[in-house]
Amino acid sequence: MLTIDDLAEFSADELDALEARLDRQIAVWEVSNLRGQAAIFHDDAHIGEPRRELQAVGHPSVDVDALTAFRMKPVVDSLEGNTLIHPLATPIIEVDEDARRARGVWWSFGVEALSKFRETPMAIISLGMVPGTHIKMDGEWRILAGAWQRTTKNEYHAGWVHSMEPTNTRPPLTPEQDRNFLGKFAYRKDAVRRAVPEPPRTDT
Amino acid sequence: MSSPASSLEQKQRVLEKFARIEAYHELQNLMGRTIVAINFRQPERVLEAFALDAPDVSFEYADEGRFVGAEAVRALVDQLIGAPAQPGEMRDYQLTTPIIEVAADGRSARGVWWMPGAGAIHEGEGDPAAIWDWATIAVDFTRAGEEWKILRLHWFRFITCHYEKGWVEDTSLINRPNTPMHPLSRPTTYHNPYSPLSIRDGIPAAPRPYDSADGSDWMLSRDKEA
Repeated sequence: MLTIDDLAEFSADELDALEARLDRQIAVWEVSNLRGQAAIFHDDAHIGEPRRELQAVGHPSVDVDALTAFRMKPVVDSLEGNTLIHPLATPIIEVDEDARRARGVWWSFGVEALSKFRETPMAIISLGMVPGTHIKMDGEWRILAGAWQRTTKNEYHAGWVHSMEPTNTRPPLTPEQDRNFLGKFAYRKDAVRRAVPEPPRTDT
Repeated sequence: MSSPASSLEQKQRVLEKFARIEAYHELQNLMGRTIVAINFRQPERVLEAFALDAPDVSFEYADEGRFVGAEAVRALVDQLIGAPAQPGEMRDYQLTTPIIEVAADGRSARGVWWMPGAGAIHEGEGDPAAIWDWATIAVDFTRAGEEWKILRLHWFRFITCHYEKGWVEDTSLINRPNTPMHPLSRPTTYHNPYSPLSIRDGIPAAPRPYDSADGSDWMLSRDKEA
């Protein structure tokens, strides 16, 4: 175990540099926790309940009004039978030198069930990515940008080659609107897959 | 030029940060080893992860109840994975979405993982049946000497269904089978797997930064503002 004697020979500059490296490692951990919390809030079907803010709402680039309006939109008649869970895997996280900003990409194997009008839910396989930028504000990490990027959203039995469900909105999106929204880089059986998003690099 | 006092303070702070980072890594490894041991039916390795010397050590599994104390935890682990593996059987749980908080005093920690799972089980004659078996795991950890141990583990079942049917058509989780509870189990504190009739909760909650173990039931907290 490291003891204070092990640090005896460190100069002030060396100690500062060591602490800065530690702070970046802790930032990776804290950003992972932040995105995990966001995933739980996302999965929680109690839409509209007051909750701790995870977005960087004090940042000038965040449109709070649009964010609030989006959150309050009802998209199903009843929460019964609905679920979506997007586990976070394959994390690639890069933190800047000052441990104040971070970029990350996660891949996700998600499953959902969707019942729009109290009909029997549709089981859905929902693969995708979560690319994002993050910023430390008032001592706490917040999400500055980045949300779900769909790869598949298919009816379970049909499979991802033959089925692509649009994002559920009211009014419903046209296929063109959906492809320009969360489905922009989604799987298409007649297209070569694009490398989006690229993982952040060390020069983030 | 920093003063000797501020230099000492910084060195102590650096040591604390090292300890926290090491704890984070050790906790991830501990849970990884535990889930692998469950996947491979290695009950002794699972039990090694638990703080069996602690009177309040516990393991709550889906709707099987809460098993408190070393004898009860051993009984549950034996019930779950004690039997020899059968040909064609598989369980493959994978830990994702780690949310981990180490207490400020470094003596305890809390963690949540989302856990996709696939498996193959025998239900009678013929080929095994392919299943999905997803859960969320919430854990209270305690520092026992130099090692982290599981003090309380709650296995929140999310999906268990036949692969062919999927989670909507397979409604076998709506009602618990009419089988007796294990004599050492205590009442379940929370069980809400997916079914076409269920409404989801954001439970278990994400752990939040905290100072020291206080016995709070953070896993079942519905306070989204905390």
